[in-house]
Amino acid sequence: MAASLVRFVRGGFSRTLNLVNRSPCLVQARSEATESKPTVRPKDPVTHSQLAVFGEYVAEMLPKYVQQVQVTCYNELEVMIHPDGVVPVLTFLRDHTNAQFRNMIDLTAVDIPTRPNRFEIVYNLLSLRYNSRIRLKTYTDELTPVDSAVSIHNAANWYEREVWDMYGVFFANHPDLRRILTDYGFEGHPFRKDFPLSGYVEVRYDDEVKRVVAEPVELAQEFRKFDLNSPWEVFPAHREAKAPELPAGDKTADK
Amino acid sequence: MAGFLKRTTGLVGLAVSNNPHERLRILYSKILASLQVIPQDASYRKYTEQLVNERFDLIKTEPDVEKLEKKMNCGQIEEVIHQAECELSLARKMADWKPWEPLIEEPPVNQWKWPV
Amino acid sequence: MEHTENASTYTRWQHDKIQRRILIKITSEGKGTDMASSAAARTATGAGKVVKPIFSRDFDEAKRRVRDLYRAWYREVPNTVTTFQLDITARQGREKVREMFDKNKHVTDPRVIDMLVIKGKMELQETINVWKQKTHIMRYFHETEVPRSADFLSRFYVGHDP
Repeated sequence: MAASLVRFVRGGFSRTLNLVNRSPCLVQARSEATESKPTVRPKDPVTHSQLAVFGEYVAEMLPKYVQQVQVTCYNELEVMIHPDGVVPVLTFLRDHTNAQFRNMIDLTAVDIPTRPNRFEIVYNLLSLRYNSRIRLKTYTDELTPVDSAVSIHNAANWYEREVWDMYGVFFANHPDLRRILTDYGFEGHPFRKDFPLSGYVEVRYDDEVKRVVAEPVELAQEFRKFDLNSPWEVFPAHREAKAPELPAGDKTADK
Repeated sequence: MAGFLKRTTGLVGLAVSNNPHERLRILYSKILASLQVIPQDASYRKYTEQLVNERFDLIKTEPDVEKLEKKMNCGQIEEVIHQAECELSLARKMADWKPWEPLIEEPPVNQWKWPV
Repeated sequence: MEHTENASTYTRWQHDKIQRRILIKITSEGKGTDMASSAAARTATGAGKVVKPIFSRDFDEAKRRVRDLYRAWYREVPNTVTTFQLDITARQGREKVREMFDKNKHVTDPRVIDMLVIKGKMELQETINVWKQKTHIMRYFHETEVPRSADFLSRFYVGHDP
């Protein structure tokens, strides 16, 4: 799966204004490893190459913001951009005649705590004119604001409120940034990886004060550790190593 | 289609244009004018000029609206006008943003590495 | 709603008047906690790197925002007590507000302060517009919580063993 990922990273030479040198050599198609098992998903080289060409077109038009372009094995075009370029790139994709990505399908975030910029902000766009989709990705951390996309796509309004509520990413110039899913007075951002699964408070009705009260969560039984390894392997290349076999003990002579 | 008058585009919020050729001619010349600010070798200018000039030539040569729509192959003429309006506003904004400049900042190491 | 105006606007002379007695001591040194700590530590290590401010460019500006927020809360407390029909006095409410602000007095990073101010504003808006209910307001006071005992035997008598 990973082998079919064609990726062209912007090389150093494409940084120059003169982009004559941009050639297919950027596209480093990794040679397909011969698969022993027959794969279920049929390859679609036409769509794949179309997307690759369009991705390269976008990268060439906006070299200031685009860091990387890739086409995944499922034929999805992904454009990785610098966080400052959210508004220009989204506007370009909406207004340019060859792009016309007028619909914002989704805006969400991914939390990867090991990275210095732990949040990835993901924009999924749809072009009805050309019947194609594109995914835009950028990054931020807990304290760096990202420019709001509401001025370009009105659909982004509630999505950004959701991301703010769930991840705590602040969107600058958002018209009405407040909570959307959590309860009033809720503390913390539930979709962060460091948010405990059990939460911080539990609520109950209290007869004495005649209202619902919230108290620090108290689990009567210690929260058990579940084995969360998926039985369906998602990344075969990153499978955990099998537990090493137990070394054979000393053989006892008798018995 | 002599005598047939187009009543509607069938699209919400998109009115029928009475004089599409004139409207497009104005828009395209405005786009070309606003592209003059952008450096010659910027690929945004290069590709947009190419695209606009192509359509501009079609307008000049083809007086019939329906045939023009077929040749452009980008929807009804009103949609083409809308696209031109968007392109014009984009071209003006692009002059401020200067996206042809080199990359602002490299991504942090392993930012785009997946799986982590 | 008159409450809204009350909370968000203030005149220049009032600003000057209150500036003289600084209510929130943010200057004291301390280590960041919770949300802010990891990011703040990271920015501290990359000291040479220019960071994008949220609102405030420097510490004084952040402090001014905190004072504005405190003033707005301070004025809103009597209104809150009457609208929500709380069984507390305005004085108690103001003490609670002060306690909430004091809880974060060790924070020195302007970006962290901004973030906290944004959240405080959000809470204030929810209170002013009566989106919250009595239960949400009274949660600040922790009335029903019993202090958790630490030693084994008393925990055993209570019956929980977390």
